[in-house]
Amino acid sequence: MTHPLRISGSAISGLLAAALFGAALVAPLPAAADEMKTFDMELKDGVITPQKLEVEAGTTFKIIVRNTGTTAAEFESLRLRKEKVVGPGVTSFVVIRRLSPGTYKFYDEFHMDMESANGVIIAK
Amino acid sequence: MTTQILFIVWRESVEALLVIGILNAWITHNAAYSAGRRYLWGGVLAGLAVAVVLAYGLLEASAVMSGESLEYFQTALVLAAAGLIVQMVFWMRKHGRQLKRELQHGVESAAQTGRWWTVTVLAAIAVAREGSETVVFLYGMFAAGPGVSTTTVALASAAGFALALLTYAVLQLGGRVLSWRLFFSVTEALLLLLACALVTTGVGNLASLGLIPYMEPVWDTSFLIDDMSRIGGIIASLTGYRAMPDPATVLVWVVYWGGVALLFRLGRSRGKVSEAAPATAASQ
Repeated sequence: MTHPLRISGSAISGLLAAALFGAALVAPLPAAADEMKTFDMELKDGVITPQKLEVEAGTTFKIIVRNTGTTAAEFESLRLRKEKVVGPGVTSFVVIRRLSPGTYKFYDEFHMDMESANGVIIAK
Repeated sequence: MTTQILFIVWRESVEALLVIGILNAWITHNAAYSAGRRYLWGGVLAGLAVAVVLAYGLLEASAVMSGESLEYFQTALVLAAAGLIVQMVFWMRKHGRQLKRELQHGVESAAQTGRWWTVTVLAAIAVAREGSETVVFLYGMFAAGPGVSTTTVALASAAGFALALLTYAVLQLGGRVLSWRLFFSVTEALLLLLACALVTTGVGNLASLGLIPYMEPVWDTSFLIDDMSRIGGIIASLTGYRAMPDPATVLVWVVYWGGVALLFRLGRSRGKVSEAAPATAASQ
């Protein structure tokens, strides 16, 4: 008796390898940065500035995340499906696309015991 | 500060130790699987190496790491890991039934070797995913300078890791103390839940990358369990729970658990067939 799962074993491994290499080779996408609204956000050892961003619902925007602290930070929001680790002194970014109106919480997970490490994005 | 370090290290390592612990307990249970141990721990080592490389990239803020390619890479990893876990669980189910027969025939089929590579990849992904974040986090803590005592960081992170190791130890003990049927059922459920969490995260990433749209939540259960709280976050990362799931997330759950139920059903009817006709099954 041949089990379908067994046949698919090598096929899955092959696909997996292809996916890994593919993903590793994808160059950073030249996100249409010109048209995109950009916000600056500073993470500093558990202090997020600003803690409230107001954006227009349905637009795509970019948040430049600068870690100016001495410890690592992680910009995280389950509702935004974002998880970005930012080492000390490192600047990175997240692109958020077409939010429906609402309030989206986020925090610096590596400092989430601090009140100042929490923020909201309000899409109107 | 100390609690935060302890918590982060525990949280980041517990998922990988869950996967490794369950696989190791399964391997330990059956003498016929002992060859698999090498593959498992090889995978752990490979995962650590990848974690360090990823962490280096994150700290150096290389262009590749700050762009969205990392997100594509992580998405590929979680989806692959989810597939491998489900495959592994059902292979073990089927194999557990056939094992006695195969042992009697003294055969270790070539297909088995291929299967062990799955274990390697699975362990490697589990370690690499969370490991890189732990490395960056700890690096930041140790490098933080006079504000943070190195001893505190070292002690707190060791305690966090020890707590996670406890998970591993409990799993090994459970594999010996509990009845195998019970232990297997529990660990199988844990792995299937974890795979659900991985698929949910993976599909969430697709929304984050703009490949599928963000949608309105279908319901809100954050008054019961808030997935943005500490406990809620752990539940979310181990089961795929979301307090405010959008239609895509709900669809993922339906398709995933529907598929799992179907595989269970298929496995059961096949099991009956092979028990009824052992001669055919043994001649494969």
